[in-house]
Amino acid sequence: MELPDPDETSRRDYLRSLVAVGGTAALSACLDLTGDESGSGVPTGDPVERPARQHAWNDALGTDDDGNPRPPEHHVLVPLSLTTTPDADASDTVEAAFQSLERAYAHDPAGLLFTVGYSPAYFAQVSSEKPIPAPEAITTLESPEFDEFDAVVHFASDKAAVVMEAEQALLGETDEPNGVEMDATLEGVFERAEPRRTGFVGPGLPAEHTGLDGVPDSVPEEAPFFMGFRSGFAESQAPEERVTIQDGPYAGGTTMHVESLTLQLQTWFEQDNHFQRVSKIYSPEHGEEELAGDVGEKLGTSTGVAGEIAERTEQDARERGMVGHAQKAARARDDNGTPPLLRRDFNTVDNEVPGVHFLSLQRSIDEFVRVRQAMAGEDLAGEGVGQRLNNGILQYIFVRRRGNFLLPPREDRALLEA
Amino acid sequence: MTRHSPGRRTDRLSRRAFLAAGAAATGALAGCIGGDDEDGNGNGGNGTNGDEGDGEPSSPDVVNSSNAPTTPSVEDPPDAVYLPTHQESMEHLETVEAGEYAVMPMLTYPHKFWLVSGTEREAVTPDSTGVHLMATVWDAETGEVLPVDTGAQLRLTRDGDLVDQRAPWPMISQTMGFHFGDNVPLPEQGTYAVEFDLTPIGGDTVRKTGEFADRFTEPRTVRFEFEFDQEFQESVVNGVEYLEEDQWGDRGALEPMAGMGGMNGEMEDGAGDDDMDDGGDGNGSEGGMEMSMPFSALQPADAYLGTDLGTLASGDATFVVRYLTETRLTDGSSGYLLVSPRTPYNRVPLADTALAVEGALEGELIQTLDSELGHHYGIAGDLASDEQLDLVVESPPQVARHRGYETAFLEMPPMTVEVP
Repeated sequence: MELPDPDETSRRDYLRSLVAVGGTAALSACLDLTGDESGSGVPTGDPVERPARQHAWNDALGTDDDGNPRPPEHHVLVPLSLTTTPDADASDTVEAAFQSLERAYAHDPAGLLFTVGYSPAYFAQVSSEKPIPAPEAITTLESPEFDEFDAVVHFASDKAAVVMEAEQALLGETDEPNGVEMDATLEGVFERAEPRRTGFVGPGLPAEHTGLDGVPDSVPEEAPFFMGFRSGFAESQAPEERVTIQDGPYAGGTTMHVESLTLQLQTWFEQDNHFQRVSKIYSPEHGEEELAGDVGEKLGTSTGVAGEIAERTEQDARERGMVGHAQKAARARDDNGTPPLLRRDFNTVDNEVPGVHFLSLQRSIDEFVRVRQAMAGEDLAGEGVGQRLNNGILQYIFVRRRGNFLLPPREDRALLEA
Repeated sequence: MTRHSPGRRTDRLSRRAFLAAGAAATGALAGCIGGDDEDGNGNGGNGTNGDEGDGEPSSPDVVNSSNAPTTPSVEDPPDAVYLPTHQESMEHLETVEAGEYAVMPMLTYPHKFWLVSGTEREAVTPDSTGVHLMATVWDAETGEVLPVDTGAQLRLTRDGDLVDQRAPWPMISQTMGFHFGDNVPLPEQGTYAVEFDLTPIGGDTVRKTGEFADRFTEPRTVRFEFEFDQEFQESVVNGVEYLEEDQWGDRGALEPMAGMGGMNGEMEDGAGDDDMDDGGDGNGSEGGMEMSMPFSALQPADAYLGTDLGTLASGDATFVVRYLTETRLTDGSSGYLLVSPRTPYNRVPLADTALAVEGALEGELIQTLDSELGHHYGIAGDLASDEQLDLVVESPPQVARHRGYETAFLEMPPMTVEVP
C-alpha cells in the first residue's frame, strides 16, 4: 500500500492512515511528523510496574468529562503464526521481547497498552486442552470468515507512532523503539499472518474520514464512533473483574472475541432521521423523550437502558415497531445489572471501507455468544420488527470475520503450555 | 459488456477530484430542472445534508441531456392509497436462481421512497447519482413471491473492489408489490457486479406452514451484473409515463407490472445477458427463458375457505378475516383465526405488521407464510356464534413505501369482528 499524501489530509487523519499502512516507511514518515514530540514525549516504562492481568487497562486510562474511561486513540491487531514448535527457549525469547516493549513504553495511553492472545489453532498444536471454542457464525444474517492464525497482539496508544513502532520492534523490523534496545524479538518463533487490522476511536476521528466513499459528510463532527454516538459508557461496561477468569489454569486471564464489521453509513445518516437513529441505537424511549442529545452527550455515564427499558423490548417491538441496540443487549446483563462484556472496540477504515473491529473481553466465549444473540434480537423478529428492519442497528452492520482468543495472565503470556 | 482496462482504480486523490466534479455536475443539473416533492417532508429531515437542497430532483444525473424527469408530485394526497402522477420505467435484468429461490433484479433511477418506524414515516430523497436497485424474490418451485423480511443483503463490486454493501429495505410498490430495494449511489459509470445474499426464512420471523414448513432453510447467494451508463440513465428517464393530470391523487393504484409486460422492447438487451452461467447453484437452464416476474398478490377474499368474519378496513388496508375449524394450521385441538391484511386494489400482503385480538379471543397473531393460503397472521383458538372481538393493529406494516402507498397503512384504528 502506498503512503498517503500528507498535503491532502488532516494531521490526525494522516497519522491514522500511516497506522493503517504500517511498515518502516510509514513509521519514519510518522516520526518525521511527530519526532519533536515523541522523542521526549513518550514515557519509558518498567516491566515490574505492569499489572498481573494483561487486560487491566482501566487504571491507566484517562476519563472523559463524565468520568467514562477514555480508550486509547490508535489500535493495531497484529496476527501471528508460529514458525517453530513452542518450547521453553522459544517461550523465554517471546517473554524477553514483550518485556523489552514494557521497558520502551510506560503502561499508559501516552505509552503503550498491549495484550497477547492465543487462538484455538494455537492450542490445537501445543495442548490437548481446548480452553476456547473455534469461532462460528452467531446469527443467521452472517457468513463470516474466521481467524485461523495462532496468536494476536493488540497494541493501543494515543500515539500513532507508538503502535507502529512497537509492532515493528516486536517483529524485528526496527531497532531501539523509543530509544530502548530490544533484548529479543519474535523472530524465529512467530511471523506475520493475515489480516492485520487497524483502527481508531475518539471524538472527531470518524468525521475525518468523509473523503472515503462509504463515509458521508453527515457523520457528526464530535462523534467518537462511526455510528455517530457515544459508546462504552462506564455503566454499560463489565468491570475488569467481571471478565477475569476466576479458576483453573488460566485464572487471571480473560477471553477475547474480535468481530469485524462493515458499516452502511450512507443509509444510516442520509436515510434515517435523528429520531430513528437514537431509537435504534439506544431505545425508542430515548428517541421519543430526546434523552440522548446529538451524539449521546446527554447520557453521562449510563445509557439508562438497563431495567425497565430492557424489559419492555418485546413490547416496543410490537407496539412501537422498533427496538434499540443497547436496549436489546441490556437484556443479557447479570441479574444485578452488571454487563458481562468489556468492549474495547474501535472504528476502522481498513480496505477503505468504514467498519468496526468489535473487540470484546469476557470471562468465557459463551458469554459473548449469549450477549451477541441478544443484540441480534432474532427472537423479536416477526411482527413489528424484522430480522434487520427496525431491529436495532442490524440494517447497517455486516459481519465479515470472527476470531476467539484466550488472553492468559501476564505471567503466562509467552507461549503458554509450551 | 465493456470491461475496464488494467489501470485499476484510482488513488484517493483522483477519486476525490472525481467526486468533486460529480457533485458540481449534480448541482448544476438541480439548478436546471426544478424540484420534485414540495411536501415539506423531503430530504430525510435529518438536517445534516441540507445544503444539497430540498429542490433536488429525484431523478438520475443525466448530464448532457435535458430529459431528466421533473416528476411532479401530488400536492395534498389523501391518507389512503392514491394514484401518483407518473409510472416509473425500469430495466428488468434476467431472473437468477439459487437453490429454492428465484430473483429478478430491476433498476431504475434513484427516487423518493418512505421508511416506516412505528407510525412515523421518513422520506428518503436521493441526493446522488446512482440507481434504485430492486429485487423480487420468489419460490422457484411454485412461483410464489416470498413477502417477508428475510434480512437480505447485497454487496456491490466494480472490478473486484467493494463499492457498497447494504441490506435493501423490504418495500411495497403499486406496480411491483413486495420487493427489496434501495437507492444505491454509484461513483461512476461502468459495469457493476452484485452478490445478493438470501438468509433463511423462518426462525422467529415468520412461521412457515404447509409445503413451506421445511423449506427456505439454507442461505443462498445470487449473482448478477449490470451496466450503469448514459444509455441506461436515458432509457429509464425516457420511459416515465405520466397519468392524466385529472387522475393525480385520486384513490386508486397503478396496475401491477408483470414481468416485461408494458416495458419498452429495448429493455431486453443491456446488462445481464451473459451472466446466467454463474447464476447461483441451481440449474439455471430455464432461467434465461423466464422473462416474466410473479407479482405478490394474495388471493381475492372470496377464495378463502372457512367462516367469513368479514372483510374489514383500517388505514385503507383491507383485512380478510376467516375462522377455520378444519385446518392443518393448528394442532387440531382448536380453530384458527386467519387475518390477511393487504393493500386495496392490488392485494399486496402487508408484512411486518403487529396484530393482536381482544375480546372473545385474546392474544398476538403470528406472521405466517403458508404454501396455499399465502402470507397472513393467525392465532389458534375457539370462537362461537355471536361472539365479538377487536382486531388491534399494534404496529402498522413496517415495510418501506413507494409513492402512492406512503400515506396509507399508518394510522390504523382497531376493527370489530363479529362471529355470525
